[in-house]
Amino acid sequence: MAALIQAIVSGLVTGSIYALMTVGMTLIYGTLRTLNMAHGSMVMIGGYVSWMLFAGFGWGPLVGLVAASMVAFAFGIVIQQIAVRPLIGRTGFDFEMTAFISTFAVTIVLSNVALQIYGARNKAVPPVIRGRFHLIEGVSVSWHSMVMAAVAITMLVGLGVFLSKTRYGLAISAVAQELDAARLMGIPVGRVYNLTMAVSSALAAVAGVLLASVFFVSPVAGDLPLLKALIVAIFGGLGSIRGTILAAYVIGLLESLISLYFGVKWSLPTLFFVIMLVMLVRPTGLFGRPQEARL
Amino acid sequence: MAAGSDDARSALVREMGWRRPNLFAVAGVLILAAMLPLVWRNDYVIDVALTALIWMILNQSWNLQLGIGGIWNFGQLALFAIGGYGAALVSLHWGSPPWLAMIVGGLAAAAASAVVGIPVLRLRGIYASLLTFSFGEVVRLLVISDESGLTGGSFGLSGVPDLAFGGLSPDARQRAYYWVALALVVVTAVVVHAFIQSPLGTALKALRDAPGYAASRGVSPLKMQVITFGMSAFIAGIAGGFYAHYFGVIAPSVMGLGPMSLFVAMLVVGGLGTFAGPLVGTALIMVISEYLRDYDEMRLIIVGVILLVTIVLAPRGLVPLLQDAWRRLQRWMAEDEAGDRGGPEEAASDPPTASGAGAQEEVTR
Repeated sequence: MAALIQAIVSGLVTGSIYALMTVGMTLIYGTLRTLNMAHGSMVMIGGYVSWMLFAGFGWGPLVGLVAASMVAFAFGIVIQQIAVRPLIGRTGFDFEMTAFISTFAVTIVLSNVALQIYGARNKAVPPVIRGRFHLIEGVSVSWHSMVMAAVAITMLVGLGVFLSKTRYGLAISAVAQELDAARLMGIPVGRVYNLTMAVSSALAAVAGVLLASVFFVSPVAGDLPLLKALIVAIFGGLGSIRGTILAAYVIGLLESLISLYFGVKWSLPTLFFVIMLVMLVRPTGLFGRPQEARL
Repeated sequence: MAAGSDDARSALVREMGWRRPNLFAVAGVLILAAMLPLVWRNDYVIDVALTALIWMILNQSWNLQLGIGGIWNFGQLALFAIGGYGAALVSLHWGSPPWLAMIVGGLAAAAASAVVGIPVLRLRGIYASLLTFSFGEVVRLLVISDESGLTGGSFGLSGVPDLAFGGLSPDARQRAYYWVALALVVVTAVVVHAFIQSPLGTALKALRDAPGYAASRGVSPLKMQVITFGMSAFIAGIAGGFYAHYFGVIAPSVMGLGPMSLFVAMLVVGGLGTFAGPLVGTALIMVISEYLRDYDEMRLIIVGVILLVTIVLAPRGLVPLLQDAWRRLQRWMAEDEAGDRGGPEEAASDPPTASGAGAQEEVTR
């Protein structure tokens, strides 16, 4: 029983982090129609920023959170300008395909630049708070996981408020819902694209800082998060934020339950088969709308 | 006037019809390629050229889906690896002849492609790429974390037996491998070319460009995708089998983002969806990457930058770009000739041809 509760707790923590990583990806897809393959690199960059602050100044990950989100914010804008913007509105080409490839190229460049600068060795970052928190008999969570879940949930709620209450957030929602109408209302779409990429990248970097203390920071630190984010995004349906968050928790719980009963080795393959089943029933994910209807 | 319009018409017919490869050019390139190991007696160069040939087979198979079929399969490397592992396992454990093992590898890849292909059949665009990409990653991570000894985990399988070149000296053996690889490239190219030109290929392109219209005209998306997936995976599997037998090793490091970035760069730089694109792109990226051999980590950075610049500035790739330039040059020369013959009407009859051909291009693209 204790093992089950333990698995559920850790599933919820993982789910929060997955939600934080994926929500930016789905936001970008909803607004820019770009599957951002550079999203994993933002997780990596977040980790490196946190490590540099720790190794250079001895500052903990909390400072890293702020710094990493600012750095990733800037990166998001640059990537949008370099890799996505020139592709928009070209006739005769599949925008989604070219944007997929161009952001993929960005991810190659970024992870190899990181390899060049920092080398292939893993870098360790300390957790925000050390020690474990004993929930009940036999069930304990590390304080860092609690912080991870708390930060992730705060960020998600903050994102929700930002998107539904603030002027800039509403502009993003408007562009995602109805591009032409948004343009007619005088929303500067180019700037909204920049903002979307920047905010989403910052969220991914926050996830990166938090994950850096659990795993290590390395040039390939973004690969697994990217894969997990892709799985969550397929499961929830691209472009649907609520679906993505729900899917993140489902995937997180599923993963820790599978690890509990069948071993860690089986978590990815089982997840993949679950995804395939979902795809067979609902080709656009649980909450995604068919692409024709969204064009 | 009559002669001029005939010329114009035949030019139009040429542009509208299937583009035939220039037989002399093809034969010339082939002879040069076949002569390479005899002329340039350098183990290292031949090894690189051989690797490039294997990648050409793989890229041709990938282009069939990605470029011509418009099916966003980003799990092709997993199929390549499955072919390699299949062939390696069969020849390691059962001692079957390597030729047979390669075919088994191809069949294994085709079977695996059914696993990923059937769900993908229902998906278009970005969802297909998501699913296939994660399929590839899952296969890679599974192999790496495999401790049962079947696949050898992250070290891979080694000691895969030779193709039956036992009695030859090392040099001759390498040359034999080279010619087999070249033959495989040619066979693949012929098969792919025949497929593209057949009604099946036309149907596939129609599905890519206008799925709804093609389906309503009686092209079955299901059947076409199954055929394309199976064929492409089979070719990739054969390439994987050959790779395993040539290098004697197959490891999970052939998959993943690093290798995939190289192959995607080859395809995109050469020109997705064109017949010659994957071949030219592979050769080009291999040459560039060999030039940068001394700066190991810079290599992928530069390849990434090349990929980015290509997709931003010339998204159709180099081959269509060069073809366009060549056609424009020819048209310009033809105009000049017409001008020399002094008929103003001929000169005037040219532009409509040009625009007509241009419109045709737009439609086929």
